[in-house]
Amino acid sequence: MTSYIIRRLLLMVPTLLGMTFMLFAVVRFAPGLREAGQANVVQGMMQSKQAQKQEQMLVALRLHLVDKNGHPISLPMQYLLWLKSTCEGHLGTSLEYPEPVLKLIEQRLPVTLTINLISMIVIYLVAVPGGLLAAVNRDRLFDRGYGLMSLALYSLPMIWVGSSLLGFFANPEFFNWFPAAGLHATNTQSMDFFQYIGDYFYHITMPIVCSTYAGFAFLSKQVRGSILDNLGQDYIRTARAKGVKGSTVMLRHVFRNSLLTLITLTGMSLPGLLGGSVIVEQIFSIDGMGRLAYTATLARDLPVIQTVALIGSVLTLLSYLAVDICYAMADPRVSYA
Amino acid sequence: MPDALTSTVRMPENGPPPQTFWSRVRARVFRPWMVKFCASYIVLVCLIAVFVPFLATGKPYTCIVPAHHGVPMQRKYPLFRDLTSVSWVLLVVTGALAVQGSCVFFTRRLMPDMRRRRRRVWLAVVTVAAVIASGLIVALHHNRLDATNYRSLAAHEKITHAIFAPIPWGYAAMEPLSKNLINKLPSQQHWLGTDGEGRDVLSRLLWSTRVAMGIGFISQFIALAIGVVVGSMTGYFSGIVDILLMRLVEIVESVPLFFLILTFVAIYGRHIFYIMVILGVTGWTGYARLLRGEFLHLRQLDYVTAAQASGLPLWRVLFRHILPNGVTPVLVSASFGLAGAVTIESSLSYLGVGVRPPTPSWGQMLNAAGNPATVFHWWQALGPGMMLFITVLAFNIVGESFRDTLDPRNAGAG
Repeated sequence: MTSYIIRRLLLMVPTLLGMTFMLFAVVRFAPGLREAGQANVVQGMMQSKQAQKQEQMLVALRLHLVDKNGHPISLPMQYLLWLKSTCEGHLGTSLEYPEPVLKLIEQRLPVTLTINLISMIVIYLVAVPGGLLAAVNRDRLFDRGYGLMSLALYSLPMIWVGSSLLGFFANPEFFNWFPAAGLHATNTQSMDFFQYIGDYFYHITMPIVCSTYAGFAFLSKQVRGSILDNLGQDYIRTARAKGVKGSTVMLRHVFRNSLLTLITLTGMSLPGLLGGSVIVEQIFSIDGMGRLAYTATLARDLPVIQTVALIGSVLTLLSYLAVDICYAMADPRVSYA
Repeated sequence: MPDALTSTVRMPENGPPPQTFWSRVRARVFRPWMVKFCASYIVLVCLIAVFVPFLATGKPYTCIVPAHHGVPMQRKYPLFRDLTSVSWVLLVVTGALAVQGSCVFFTRRLMPDMRRRRRRVWLAVVTVAAVIASGLIVALHHNRLDATNYRSLAAHEKITHAIFAPIPWGYAAMEPLSKNLINKLPSQQHWLGTDGEGRDVLSRLLWSTRVAMGIGFISQFIALAIGVVVGSMTGYFSGIVDILLMRLVEIVESVPLFFLILTFVAIYGRHIFYIMVILGVTGWTGYARLLRGEFLHLRQLDYVTAAQASGLPLWRVLFRHILPNGVTPVLVSASFGLAGAVTIESSLSYLGVGVRPPTPSWGQMLNAAGNPATVFHWWQALGPGMMLFITVLAFNIVGESFRDTLDPRNAGAG
């Protein structure tokens, strides 16, 4: 098992290298990169020419465009320098905030990951029973209705749902049931633990609704498909012929085999959730990774965008790895020698 | 592939033309009324996108300027004079497609003996003519910005006999902003109300189909082109090409799509053509994977060996012999890809990093409806939300039906 994990980790290296190269290339060949530094200087207009020039030099130095003496660095060297500092954990300083990128990400990554984790749990709690029921009632009314409903849910645009939720349920004009923004009330200091948790869940209700409904549809469709595939297998007939109870066949035989599909889909859905968090976090004003990526996009804050994309893809690759390991553990037929 | 679909039926010489694989697929895909409805909806939206300058605009088709100050009476055609080059190109392309479609339809019906090659020559002539005409339009046509307020001219009888479009409002505000036009509920004049700048919501809704359909179709076309080239290369040549190109696919796939798109948008800007290219360049990996699988299977078949042995050039083997047999799963996936592209475009516009205003887009309108959040103008959100929902749903339903038809597991059914 250990050797399998190590091999998988080694296989990740070329992909990671290629990905860093892609991000580097995309950013380096950006039109007007040299002017990018000017946008970040808030008082750019008021500064003297000298100070502006210094600021630009600093930005160029940060982006590894020039060395300490102001000589331009060749492209391959730029890449290597950038890679080296990235590997050492120096992900650069944001052009927009006076903080290192790593610190920005450190504050925001847990927020996004927690919300995504909770969404994933909610999705599973709804989609798995739903898919199971649809498969059991194949081609009956429930299955047809459920199929159509999930297709409709899947097609509902998140921006419409999000802005309508916000407009109708966090609005004194209609129903002022939920908070419109943020993750916590202002008086968190005076709360005990359970109040704090309660307040947190109260705040994330609408974001969770917004980020889960499309997942229900997708996942339950997959669950239904994989259960139907398994239902046709011979060992199911054998189990039935032996006289095993119907519910036992469903849960112990069919469902356990369908778990494999679920494991794969869990890992696959992470990039989608991370990407979707851009929209959800922006609508509900939650300071997470997605919102960071968005504000960085508006400000053309290249180091931040680069790092967010980098971390997003590392997370994705890690989740693929986790899927493979879980798969190997769950299915004795998969050999990982 | 199921046998029922692939085996062609030999008909007697004078009977109806033999059924092909595609005609059977088409018949089966569009059998449910829901799919028929969705397909017609998509066609309708595309037609709206082409003809919207005639549907929703503040300019009259024609009007008469009465004689004044010694200038004789004149008949004017403001709408046609001010069509933008994009509108002209869309009209030319649609016209060419209509001519080709009717040519195919009528020659099949009336002249079944006509040789396919002869028909193809005519189709090619029309295509070339359309391309040349489009090029000329882009090169020579100057877009005019006509800010004349024809409605008020007509009201003051400065022009007479004016014939206005069914929705006599453009997508941009052309008249000085007056307080009583802003954020109005639906009324007889403005069927879906007005937005924060006093613009007609319905008109903007219709104009947005251009951005949605344009970005959807063109971005997926680019993605398909890249995916077909990469996928067929990886599937056909195994070995080093396969390994390298599949790493490329993995690399592009490893970055969460929306982060990747945001990175590109941040760097290359948000012009509509850039967004098309960005969505295309980031969205091809699924197509490449699907085609790779198909090519891996198909290249071992005898007919491919026969094609190679008869000395055909590589591109012909790849794209004329293998591709047509492996393209169906990709087309299914393209239908979902279109839905995805429309969604992503609207999300980008919603976030304010999509197409630039005043070019209307559904996402942008949704954003304007609830901004700031405490004032939510539901009528401004309803229209774009519904249009977006129905369009995406229509693409998904057609794709679903397509997939079910081609799924070998369903071969017995239907």
